[in-house]
Amino acid sequence: MNEQTAAAVEVRNLSKSYGNFVALKNVNVTIAAGEYFVLLGPSGGGKTTLLRTIGGFQKPTSGEILLHGKSVGHLPPDKRPTTMVFQAYALFPHMNVMQNVGYGLKVAGLPKAQIAEKVDHALQQVGLTQFENRKPHELSGGQQQRVQLARAIVLDRDILLLDEPLAALDAQLRKDMCLELKHLQEKVGITFIHVTHNQEEAMTVADRIALIASGDLVEVGRARDIYRAPEKSFTAGFVGENNILKGEALEVTGTTATVDVAGSKLRIDTRGLSVEKGQALTLSIRSECVGLEQVNGDAPASDGMSIVGAYNESVYLGLTTSHLVRLPDGTEMVSRIIADTEAALPPAGAAVRLHWKPDDIRLHVQ
Amino acid sequence: MNEYDNPWLHRLKWTYLLLVVLTLMIPVLYVMYISFNANGFGANDYVFTLEWYGLILSDEILIGALRWTLTLAVVVTLIAVPMALLAAKYYKTADKKLFVVFLLLAPLFVPPDILGSALLVSFKNLNAVFIWLGDGLGTSLFDSWFRLSFMTAAIGLIIYTLPYSFVVILITMGRYRKEQTEAARACGANGWRAFWDIEFPQIRAGVFSACAFTVILVFNEYTRTSLLKGGFDTFTTVLISQMLNTGMSPQSYAMSALISFVAIAVIGSIILITLIRAETLARIARGKPEPVTP
Repeated sequence: MNEQTAAAVEVRNLSKSYGNFVALKNVNVTIAAGEYFVLLGPSGGGKTTLLRTIGGFQKPTSGEILLHGKSVGHLPPDKRPTTMVFQAYALFPHMNVMQNVGYGLKVAGLPKAQIAEKVDHALQQVGLTQFENRKPHELSGGQQQRVQLARAIVLDRDILLLDEPLAALDAQLRKDMCLELKHLQEKVGITFIHVTHNQEEAMTVADRIALIASGDLVEVGRARDIYRAPEKSFTAGFVGENNILKGEALEVTGTTATVDVAGSKLRIDTRGLSVEKGQALTLSIRSECVGLEQVNGDAPASDGMSIVGAYNESVYLGLTTSHLVRLPDGTEMVSRIIADTEAALPPAGAAVRLHWKPDDIRLHVQ
Repeated sequence: MNEYDNPWLHRLKWTYLLLVVLTLMIPVLYVMYISFNANGFGANDYVFTLEWYGLILSDEILIGALRWTLTLAVVVTLIAVPMALLAAKYYKTADKKLFVVFLLLAPLFVPPDILGSALLVSFKNLNAVFIWLGDGLGTSLFDSWFRLSFMTAAIGLIIYTLPYSFVVILITMGRYRKEQTEAARACGANGWRAFWDIEFPQIRAGVFSACAFTVILVFNEYTRTSLLKGGFDTFTTVLISQMLNTGMSPQSYAMSALISFVAIAVIGSIILITLIRAETLARIARGKPEPVTP
């Protein structure tokens, strides 16, 4: 994303309530033109509400939405420079593929020849030129979603909203379609705002990700940063497979804090956060960054970059194997290792040491 | 038929179904039968004739009643069906659905003579109020607003037919997904355009069925119409009045049979066209290869 690019979408202090239920709480976010932006979060977190509010399908309780700098809060969906792809059931069943894709152009009053030309081009972009005379029920789920995409991009609008467009597809098809979506966005160059609860899908397509939960915008950042360096403990818990450890600050020296976790003293970079002695802290470390080795005895490790626990079990996942280790305070830690060997595993209850590099562990004060 | 079913049980089910249809149709078929008898109803000798059909047009009372009923049916349909459609659309988005459905279906649970009498009293009182108002203002402009007339009969029949139309439309609307309206709006269509282009074609069958149902109900209705207008205007009221006073004329049988012929032909054609269309679409679909994933 180019930081200098004008904002396609600006959401300012947006709140949305349904009676006593607050779906969005004072959300602020800016999305650049030409950006592939993903709203990621657990179900019921408010991401679809935000998307639908941007699209004009729901009115905000308070706050403002600006599209290309113009406030659109008062405009219905058909008057906004947006179009939308829905999760499912949104194709017009009484129209064939060509009529579905050309519907918006017909509404706009374009001549038939021009509609046919544009529809043909849009169908080429999504690889469905052979299916123009088929009805929606004669298409597979993936093809139906491509028709929705063609119907949206044919309108040449600046902003495309995608509400869980791949949720109804099977896992393999979802992976394939993810890449296709990303390539399509690069080809057409418009702003894509994509809602999903699937982090792999989000990582595949996103330039930036906004994590939304319980109506709050928890964190916004590049996909890599959200995954590798989450600011908030919620992000660490939701994205990737992170070990979340609870501890207490024992000592703070410069930018390093010593934290007591299950009897072990861990050293960690404070990242400029304000940490005081005795403060309750949360640490996170991705499971693939945690190494595992069997040790003799269960004395706490003293290097500040490892912790000792009792080996519990292993779970074979194909590409990786997850090793589950129980810490003295009962917390379960996972070490995920790319290995497909039949090598002997530590017996259940054996003392093991879990270790990591200094940069892999992160401190969260909230 | 399920391959494990007893074939005799299967035949028994079909026999039962035919018996039900026959039981329903025998009175109609009998009217058709005697409408072709030159000697009329109850005669020992049966002599085939088309004479009574020829005389229908010369029976002014019957033709007048038919014209009156058709006009009433058209007016009631044009008002009740759009009202039912709007109500069904509101119902789909309403939060308190039970309350809405109770209000709309309430007229169905009131016996026709009670509803008719209640409306009759209401119209008479309203008429008195309007006459009093007109007298106060020194004008006779309001005198006939709620006198028993075509309008009062139409109001009574709208109240009677609206719940039926509402239910019929609601059933077809049940399959409609609101995402399609939202998709149309996202394509640039305004609310009306989205309804007309996307939703209406999918609920059209329900709307047309509601129209047909309303026309049939108006033709069948006796109690409310006779209370709210009088016993000598609509086709049914004229037939019943004739039967009670002078006995039915052979032309009346011919007219009844003709209407039954037309109704059966129309409904039969609709069923036939639907079946042929479904078969044609299935044949076209069979001719296409299976959807390729993705």
